[in-house]
Amino acid sequence: MSEYKRPLPQVTDYTKPFWEAALRGELVVQRCKSCGLFIWYPRPSCPRCGSIDLEWVKSKGLGTVYSYTVIRRVVANSPDFQRDIPFVVAEVDLDEGVRLYARLEVKPEEARTGMRVRVEFENVTPDIALYRFKPS
Amino acid sequence: MLATNKLSKNSVKAMFSGSVSVSGYAETPLSRARVDKGEKRLTIEEYYAHALRKLLDNTGLRLEDLRGQGVGVTGSAYPRAEIWSAEVVQNLGLEPKFLARADHGGANGAALVVVGALAIYSGYVDHFLVLGADTPMNIAGEGALTWRYELDYLMPVGMMGPNSMAAMIMRRQMDQYGYKPEHYGSISVSQRFNAGKNPNAYFKTPLKLEEYLQSPLISDPLRMLDICPFVNGGFAILLSKTELARKVTDRPVKLLGFGEWHNQDAAKTSPDITTTGLKPAVQQALSLAGVKQREIGLFNAYDDYTPVVLMQLEDAGFCEKGGAGKFLEENDVTYRGALPVNTGGGLLSYGQAGMAGGLHHIVEAVIQLRGEAGERQVKTPAKALVTALGALAHGGSFINNYALVLGGD
Repeated sequence: MSEYKRPLPQVTDYTKPFWEAALRGELVVQRCKSCGLFIWYPRPSCPRCGSIDLEWVKSKGLGTVYSYTVIRRVVANSPDFQRDIPFVVAEVDLDEGVRLYARLEVKPEEARTGMRVRVEFENVTPDIALYRFKPS
Repeated sequence: MLATNKLSKNSVKAMFSGSVSVSGYAETPLSRARVDKGEKRLTIEEYYAHALRKLLDNTGLRLEDLRGQGVGVTGSAYPRAEIWSAEVVQNLGLEPKFLARADHGGANGAALVVVGALAIYSGYVDHFLVLGADTPMNIAGEGALTWRYELDYLMPVGMMGPNSMAAMIMRRQMDQYGYKPEHYGSISVSQRFNAGKNPNAYFKTPLKLEEYLQSPLISDPLRMLDICPFVNGGFAILLSKTELARKVTDRPVKLLGFGEWHNQDAAKTSPDITTTGLKPAVQQALSLAGVKQREIGLFNAYDDYTPVVLMQLEDAGFCEKGGAGKFLEENDVTYRGALPVNTGGGLLSYGQAGMAGGLHHIVEAVIQLRGEAGERQVKTPAKALVTALGALAHGGSFINNYALVLGGD
């Protein structure tokens, strides 16, 4: 396997459970134990009530495309994506109520706002599996 | 509950309006640092120096007149010392009583105007100098440092910075409200028309809608001509206590009102990305000013991307949400129209001087209200609304939202 040349996330103590779950093929999101808010992206405290008592819960991995873009030019800090062009990145609203950015594995002309999608994972390094979505 | 809203709506309103004025301004020539085409490649330090020198020449003030007053310096997105405002004042020989720095991206200029206005209004200083400069064209390679959430959750999945985030907004607008490429193109074309009459704008060549429609897709549906191009440049604005402003200039422009709002709907995990947080900022600015929406005769809207201008026509109250397309079909928004928008060309055609870019919208409003806009002068210099946006949000639109109402002497 050749060296992975794309940007990778920094894994910290509070984001580690997410990346560990991803390696198992599970999508987990944070939930505030105090007020019940589902939270994405991972944070050390609840943005609704300020509690630091958060838990990780398994998402069903189903969602709806809220918006999307077809990347046709790369920027300087992501040159390795050039060979994928054109490709689709979407904002996906998970059924749990949070919005995340992810690759949408469809042809550019097939992408639609409102599409129902399901998560899948790709192991890109021994430590990181990236989530992406396909039509469900 | 803390009575924040009560305070801003009543106590400040009664006394603020008109107590602070813009007494001077300066903008440097812009450059794309194309040395091969004979352009200058100046450093950020030179842009600060040239902006200040020009302000002193324009106002007849001496450097020592600013001693013991306030100074605000914009940050830069490109590698600089973290302690930056100190170096700027040391380089320039400024000796302020009060020194502020903004890190609000596109809203840096507006943020410093608000800080300066509050410092003057409180009686802490009589004058406040806003300085902004940036040189994004000098930066090779990886460019700006960015947010943790972009590094961890956007870049790994293939998002391509602000262009791709603006494209998300545009796609959602098109699908939710039926906006067409021509609506976005009309903004590019009209602002280029305005820039053609602004000697200091960088991009002045007339633009046809067909050229917009043929410009390459970068982050589909966002095209090259939906995106503001970088320039190197510098700005200076002097704010003064209104009683003293006429000692500096015979054409002071009052800052009638201001408003800001940050991280709107902080606890919403799936917000409407076609809406900025400008509504409360604009409402406060108009309320402080005692100015009605219909009295606004000039709207300089933050315009790093065309879809952002459409959002602001709605959020600032010129049309209803989803009505910007129809508004643009029915109204001329050039300097000759009923609602002139970005009369100096905006960032789309004047150019975006990096993190200092938003100062263009404020300087252009001052130029218009002083009646110094030459061929692009709005016929009846009326009250002007200037908006500024900073920091694209994860899953949302903009985090920093500002509104300024300027007008009258």
